[in-house]
Amino acid sequence: MTQGFIIHNRSMMRFIGLLGLFTLLVTLGSEAMGTGVISTSLVKTLGKTLCLCLIAIAMDVVWGYCGILSLGHFAFFGIGGYAIGMWLMYARTETIVTESLARQVIPPTPAEVTDAIGAQIFGVVGSSDFPVIWSFADSLILQLLMVVLVPGLLALVFGWLAFRSRVTGVYLSILTQAMTLALSLYLFQNDSGLRGNNGLSGLQNIPGFESTPQATISLVFFWGSALALGLGYMLFAFVVGGKMGSIVQGIRDNEARVRFLGYRVEGYKLFVFTLTAVVSGIAGALYYPQAGIINPAEIAPIASIYLAVWVAIGGRGRLYGAVIGAALVSLLSSWFTGGGAPDVNLGFYTVQWTDWWLVLLGVSFVCVTLFAPKGIGGLFDYLIRKPR
Amino acid sequence: MLRTLACLLIICAVAKGAAAQTLQPILQTHAAEVADPSRGSVSVVLDDLVASGLPQVPTFLERWSDKGVWQNTADGQFYYGRTDGDDLALTDIDTGTQTTVDRAGYTELRPNGGVRRVIGTALVQFQLSDPDLGRRQSAIDSIARRPDADQLAPLLASIDGEPDSLLRARKIQLANFLSASFAGDPADRIAAIDSLSRDTSIEARAVLNQILTTRDVVATDAPDGNIARILTVGTDITADQAYDRLVAADLAPAAIPSAAVRDALAANITDGRVGGIPTAQLNTEATRAQAYAALADRGLVPPRLTEEGRAAAIAAHVFAEVYTEDDPAITDAARAALSSVETRVAAASFADLTLDAMSLASIYFLAAIGLAITFGVMGVINMAHGEFIMMGAYTGYVVQQFVPDYTVSLILALPLAFAVTFAAGVAMERLVIRHLYHRPLETLLATFGISIALQQLAKNIFGTQARPLTSPSWLDGAWVMSDVIQISYIRIAIFVLALLFLGLILYILKRTRLGLEVRAVTQNPGMAASMGIDPDRINMLTFGLGSGIAGIAGVAIGLYAQVTSEMGANYIVQSFMTVVVGGVGNVWGTLAGASLIGSLQKGIEFLNPSNTLAAQTYMVLFIILFIQFRPKGIVAQKGRAAAD
Repeated sequence: MTQGFIIHNRSMMRFIGLLGLFTLLVTLGSEAMGTGVISTSLVKTLGKTLCLCLIAIAMDVVWGYCGILSLGHFAFFGIGGYAIGMWLMYARTETIVTESLARQVIPPTPAEVTDAIGAQIFGVVGSSDFPVIWSFADSLILQLLMVVLVPGLLALVFGWLAFRSRVTGVYLSILTQAMTLALSLYLFQNDSGLRGNNGLSGLQNIPGFESTPQATISLVFFWGSALALGLGYMLFAFVVGGKMGSIVQGIRDNEARVRFLGYRVEGYKLFVFTLTAVVSGIAGALYYPQAGIINPAEIAPIASIYLAVWVAIGGRGRLYGAVIGAALVSLLSSWFTGGGAPDVNLGFYTVQWTDWWLVLLGVSFVCVTLFAPKGIGGLFDYLIRKPR
Repeated sequence: MLRTLACLLIICAVAKGAAAQTLQPILQTHAAEVADPSRGSVSVVLDDLVASGLPQVPTFLERWSDKGVWQNTADGQFYYGRTDGDDLALTDIDTGTQTTVDRAGYTELRPNGGVRRVIGTALVQFQLSDPDLGRRQSAIDSIARRPDADQLAPLLASIDGEPDSLLRARKIQLANFLSASFAGDPADRIAAIDSLSRDTSIEARAVLNQILTTRDVVATDAPDGNIARILTVGTDITADQAYDRLVAADLAPAAIPSAAVRDALAANITDGRVGGIPTAQLNTEATRAQAYAALADRGLVPPRLTEEGRAAAIAAHVFAEVYTEDDPAITDAARAALSSVETRVAAASFADLTLDAMSLASIYFLAAIGLAITFGVMGVINMAHGEFIMMGAYTGYVVQQFVPDYTVSLILALPLAFAVTFAAGVAMERLVIRHLYHRPLETLLATFGISIALQQLAKNIFGTQARPLTSPSWLDGAWVMSDVIQISYIRIAIFVLALLFLGLILYILKRTRLGLEVRAVTQNPGMAASMGIDPDRINMLTFGLGSGIAGIAGVAIGLYAQVTSEMGANYIVQSFMTVVVGGVGNVWGTLAGASLIGSLQKGIEFLNPSNTLAAQTYMVLFIILFIQFRPKGIVAQKGRAAAD
């Protein structure tokens, strides 16, 4: 037990060190520092990748350690993004509207300002009134609280209902997928109050920092993402490292036995499910200001399945495995689909990777499941054990 | 009116024997009215024409109304004419002799719209009794499109002589509609209205609603006329609406919106102040109202109505809806008839909804039964099941490219789709799933990998645009039972197909050797193996069977929906829901699950018709809650088989 904890700690220290080094290198190479080796868009991509790594760790804890294959964590990610996006959009529109209204002779009343902001934001869905869920959109602190509270509460209620009636295994996966589907279908509606399939946009413009160049903003968000990933890693290493970690892994291996030993299995599962949902929400809140736009398609059930794919390819049951999987697959994916990969000419047919990347991903995924169930992280075991 | 009726009878009597007479003299008698008709004068001409009973009359009326009659300016004779460049092809009205002349000496008769309508009404009398069924039909259609009081009598007169029974029924129905609206005697109208209370057609409802049309009335005390209801401000209409009506009726000054107040203030700034208030302070409604009041006191702007003034103006008036029909007996009858019709329509739409739900349920059943077999029997979740549905649909599409006859290609496509997806399922079981037994979550992910690969592969082969799978012509159209209840033949065919497969699967599982072995392996694979059953073979065949049915479901779904690479993904979640709600490993459970989900979705769509997305959201929420109460589905497995 103690030894296991130290191993985790050792790998944690290594990970934090590598993350710090990586952050330092990217900072030195970024445009904001004047060197310009790494373009601003690449800094953004790397920052986004760090956020994806954070949600991948959360997924690893809930699936790899606790055995709950949740197909809903990307929904929590999206909720976090929407929560921060509401404030970003409101505050930015408020700045624009106040400027344009200031030009008229009679100063505007507060009601007029709100109406103008509403018309600006909801014009695309043919409305101009603020829905109830936007009540706190004017306050950054309250919206930041939403980033944590909404995914947390949703996970708490959903998890309580599901775990209480002892829904497990494949059923639970389908149920979480249903939850994600319901949420994305709801958000797709124009009268959902979140601009339907238009989503929230212009999130890369941070209110109050209009004059700051994007290079600096993206670097700051990169730092934020790196910090969040580091803290998240430490938090989860602590959670899965101690006695509680052993119980959680016991639940994964044989839930009934842990229950017979007198532990309240539901409580542990609920704690892990809710905690990972909150971390997913935070990851989403850091991701979408860097992506600039969020729409319901982002949280469709397929996204959550991809998340499971990353973790499986990286290696379940080890936190660094999730990081490797998320970073590798998401970067490869944007390299292949972005047209970065060279076409392969077979003579009779030219393989264009934009078309064939998903086929490759699907097949390699089957291969990983069949031949390397421990994922890429499993390779480290060979490296470590061989000297013995 | 009676005269026209008499004329009609004469026509019937005379039409056969009087063919020798000519029309031209009659026209010449009224030459002035024919050449330049007005709404007042034309009826004289029409009466004489109808009275003559000549067979040429209907043709003449048609051509006259279509501006196809020309007059020789020299001798005043009338001809049918058609311009051909500068020439004019003339046809003699009586003999039909054709000549071509220079158009300079002729003038075209151009009856105006009002006259043409009168002519049209006269023409209907002829068309209603025309020997040609098509023309009678089109006359009836034209009456139905534009009902008119004048058409009632000729319509009634033509009913008795109508040989075609369908058209006769239609004429009686139409005559009822017309008498409900236009009959002279209130008793006749009420009788006709009562007869409509058993008619659920949209037309009948339109007639009743037409009778019950109301207009909004504002008055200082109880309004005159046949009052539908007195509106209470606050419950029936809002205060704003009530005030708008007052303004529309010129009983109150128009309200000044806050935007207009702001503009008025901006227009009256003097030395940075409006009405003595600095402009910088005008950022609240209260100071604005104060400044505006100051302006109004000086007479610079119209005074703004206060809340009290508005309330007093509304309280001083009565708001009501008044029927345009004056006779209360008729509106009462129409209301009673309409409420009885609405009860019938509600019953009929419930029946229609049930049909819709059954059809949707059969689609879900077809899509889910294959999944239920593999999931229930083998405990394996096949995320690529949706892609097997897609494969089946594309097989149907490819077959149609080679076999142009849609009926033959459909007959070929069904077994071919089964064969293709059976093979795909067996291959998948042997290559992937066999190695992942006892690791159900990993099967889920591996089959998901196959699913995204297959989906993208289909996209690469067939492109992203939707491909049509055309149904044979005998499946086109719908079975229309009434204006409310109808169902398309394709949906009936899918329903029948679902029933066939229900029977087939039950037969295979309960009555064949394969089914016996499948059930044995389901219950206890080890024991089954020791009895000489090869579990690997059974698993392989079961998986193939489940996948094959998905292929057939794909052909069925492709017939009414478009075939795209994503069509499988659209059904996979619904299929999972069906299996989970119904209960794993039981054909009846799947049937129950499909029925529940199908009727639930249709029911929610019925209650909230504008929004199918919301319907799906609510349904998914319902299923999440349902699983709380029956975690193992409607038909739960019992005993050891139920353990994870």
